[in-house]
Amino acid sequence: MCGISGVVSAEDVSLKLKDSIRNLEYRGYDSCGIAIVNGAGTVVKKNIGYVNDVAEKEAFSDVSGLTGIAHTRWATHGRVTKPNAHPHSCCEGKIAVVHNGIINNHLKLKKELLQAGHSFISETDSEVVAHIIEDGIKRHGLDLEDAFVSALHKLDGTFAIAMVSGDTPGKIFCGRHESPLIIGVGENENYIGSDFNAFIEFTKNAVVLDDGEYAVVSNESYSVKKIKDGDYISKSITVIEWDKEMAQKGGFPHYMLKEIHEQSDTISNVLEIPEPEIKAIASAMLDADNIYLMGVGTTYYSALVGQYYLASTAGVMAYAVSSDEALEAVPIKKGDYVIAISQSGETYDTLRGLRYAKKNGAKTAAIVNVVGSSMSRLVDSVIMQGTGPEICVVSTKVATAQMATLIRVAIEAGVLSKKITLAKKKELLKHLKSLPKAVSDFLNEHSGFVHSLANRQADYDRWLYLGRGVYYPVALETALKVKEVAYHHAEGMPAGFLKHGTIALIDEKIRSMVFVPPVAEKEIYKLTISAIEEIKARGGTVAAFHSSDSLAKSGLLDDQLQLPKTNPFIAPILMLVAGQLYSYFVATTLGRNVDKPRALAKSVTVA
Amino acid sequence: MKALILAAGGGKDMAPFSITRPKPMLHVAGRPILHRTFQMLRGSGFSDVSLIRGPHGDTIREYFGSGESIGVNINYISQKKQDGIGKAVLLARQSFSPGEHFILIYSDVVTDENIISSVLQTFGYSGSPTAGIVLPPSASPSFGNVYLDKSMSITKIVEKPTKKNTGNYVLAGIYVLPYSFFAILEKAKGDMVKAFAKLIKSEGMKASIWEKGWVDIGYPWDILNANRIIMDTWNSSSVHKDISVKDAKIKGPVHIEEGVEIRSGAIIQGPSFIGKGSYIGNNVLIRKYSSLGPNSVIGFGVELKNCVFFGHSRVGRLSYVGDSVVGKDVDIGSGTMTINQNMDGSSIKVKANGSLVDSGMEKLGAFIGDGSVLGSGHNICAGSVIKPGVMIPNHYTYPKGSR
Repeated sequence: MCGISGVVSAEDVSLKLKDSIRNLEYRGYDSCGIAIVNGAGTVVKKNIGYVNDVAEKEAFSDVSGLTGIAHTRWATHGRVTKPNAHPHSCCEGKIAVVHNGIINNHLKLKKELLQAGHSFISETDSEVVAHIIEDGIKRHGLDLEDAFVSALHKLDGTFAIAMVSGDTPGKIFCGRHESPLIIGVGENENYIGSDFNAFIEFTKNAVVLDDGEYAVVSNESYSVKKIKDGDYISKSITVIEWDKEMAQKGGFPHYMLKEIHEQSDTISNVLEIPEPEIKAIASAMLDADNIYLMGVGTTYYSALVGQYYLASTAGVMAYAVSSDEALEAVPIKKGDYVIAISQSGETYDTLRGLRYAKKNGAKTAAIVNVVGSSMSRLVDSVIMQGTGPEICVVSTKVATAQMATLIRVAIEAGVLSKKITLAKKKELLKHLKSLPKAVSDFLNEHSGFVHSLANRQADYDRWLYLGRGVYYPVALETALKVKEVAYHHAEGMPAGFLKHGTIALIDEKIRSMVFVPPVAEKEIYKLTISAIEEIKARGGTVAAFHSSDSLAKSGLLDDQLQLPKTNPFIAPILMLVAGQLYSYFVATTLGRNVDKPRALAKSVTVA
Repeated sequence: MKALILAAGGGKDMAPFSITRPKPMLHVAGRPILHRTFQMLRGSGFSDVSLIRGPHGDTIREYFGSGESIGVNINYISQKKQDGIGKAVLLARQSFSPGEHFILIYSDVVTDENIISSVLQTFGYSGSPTAGIVLPPSASPSFGNVYLDKSMSITKIVEKPTKKNTGNYVLAGIYVLPYSFFAILEKAKGDMVKAFAKLIKSEGMKASIWEKGWVDIGYPWDILNANRIIMDTWNSSSVHKDISVKDAKIKGPVHIEEGVEIRSGAIIQGPSFIGKGSYIGNNVLIRKYSSLGPNSVIGFGVELKNCVFFGHSRVGRLSYVGDSVVGKDVDIGSGTMTINQNMDGSSIKVKANGSLVDSGMEKLGAFIGDGSVLGSGHNICAGSVIKPGVMIPNHYTYPKGSR
């Protein structure tokens, strides 16, 4: 998982190049570097660390030139070291390459190149690319473009690659296979990037490359061709509607807090998705033999929330599937329907699952946030959740918007399956429409309580997160948030599971966080309370998220957050928002790097 | 931009210290709170400061003078009648010019880092009036609520929430305001809440969230909390070049100023502060979070722990002072013990403004007002408040009694 960018202009590109790669830092940030072509040849500067730190340490500002590429890395092959940072150069140093993806056959390629006399500096799979191109020019007499394309032919794996050469200033060569790559079209200046954020400050016009395509980009023009045979492809320009202002923090101390606060708006956006789009998905579901909701990490939990709503509201069985396990665990067949859920639309595991589903003849759909992403172009139908950029590495507003989308699908499926009446649909939609205000009221009137709970609990780092019914995925997702940003061990599980084994863990050292349904959910409320009693009876410590006055006063809980009462239909999502804010405050209390937790990257585009 | 500091506040809950000095002249980490405020202002590029002073305001002038020594020009304004914050702000109107913004600072919140520059940053990017906001460490229904929209604009300020179970960000007492605020405030008859509501409507107000350390100085023990959060930011020591520490043991970040004499066998554990001209006797043990103001005299074998001395005070031999605050010019006799915990481990209650208040702290010693004299041989009950200027006779076990 990495980010690549490039700028080619009639003016010096060094500043813009640095900005472009800094805007991609959320894709990975353990090291970074730039390569700029000028009269002196190709200058490469790179090191380990965040972009701003490396830019200062390596004096990025000392280089100038009209063509440049850049990279921010999240290590997959090779350690986090300066030589392993991109760009990588050929032996002579003229050619510099940046790469996002994984080259499976790099050891074989490296061996051949070593025999041909090339020497390698790094431990990465990416370095081979620079040497293959150099080899193509020197040994086989190819011109630069042919050498670039023939190098791409040799690669087995996934890639978005960009290259510059000191011998050919004013041009960036780039190509992709299963890793994202986009061209930004400016005035007398063009850009490339792993996504829009690389150049959103400079232009809103973009050309999205597809798998198996490469492009030659100069400041005045760009041409897109097929890697296979070099045929020209005419591509249309996509206009991006996000603006720079929106992608900035807007005064919040962290993107995560900002994005938590944006949720009333982003859920409202979901309510604006045209009904026919939702209906189409719902009706395709009812036509299918089996329905699979596919995601990984947070999106898997969004899928689980969807599974519960589809079961309760529509009587429809939709299996939530963790996409990393899809190929092995799920026999997807023709007649099945697979709905993929992904923020970036580039998630490797989910793309792999989708390709598998397509290969087996299943119908596919996707709920994604990024326009023009690989996933949105792969599936039969797509719902754009319209959440806007999510910069914090951990997902908050994108997740609740995905859940709200699935809840809308569940309502439509309920009507189509005749499980609910039109009047009931109207009522449920009314509740869903009250969610945005419930979220903003909660944030405005209860943040203090969430903060104090977090303050009191931040020092304990071993947790069980428990819930029943749809509160089980709420517990799972909150536990994941706490793991991601606070680095606490928090194990999410169904509260009913406890007595089937896990309760043996209960002692004074492990704490339990219980997500209690509203009292109106009589059955699971009672079951949840008895789970709390079981833990207490074994000397455990219980904190709970709940909305029950009687529980608040019962003396059963060691600590608690009492939420305002809301309709049970939307209460799980409100409780999740509380869980997100709780994990945020635990993390800030502990001084964690909230927006860029250690070892995590925004969109995971590798296996 | 110019600054306006409200330094007239005392606070009845701050006895015994508020009897002789305004809140900003309480000491933390070796300096008056106001000294830190001036430093933050200097660090944010301010040099012109208007300061409203009230009862015992002369202590401020005595300490800071014209402000030259710390790099600011102080324009002192006296508030004769203690008729509220709004009226105090209006007194300063002449010191500012139409069209300009000014920063307004209440002096009851202590932060570990420069909150002023953080509020200014928010003002800088937004251009709107700005208020610093914080989240209380423990929410209780008595806290006010600041309502925000998703762009961090304040939509509403509720001072005393009536709605049950609400608790959100509260105002930190730091604002960037336009000159026109004076007119709004005058129209609101000095009612700050009404004036802010009006300003929110007319010009809007941005919030600047402060997530680092802060303490609201409301009760005497908050001095110890403020002292601690500041000392926790220290990561290096400074010992004046003329000081010999070869016979003492020093560990952790300590600040030792000029003219300090440290006798052999002393142990000083950081973070701690020893003000200029102080004397640390033989075998003294100074433990973490101890702050000694200038010219403190600590006798043989004394143990100090988590305590703040405002300066010019003396502790006689073989005493223990822990989790306590000691004013200026205090004399503590030999063999004095501050008891700092209840037998049952319950949290310690302190008399504040006529009633007992639960401090929530399991360890708390005594609060000894400026100029008090304590005779030798006393065991002082946890949470005691000793008024300024009192004299407590020596305590004897033979013959029994005090004389």
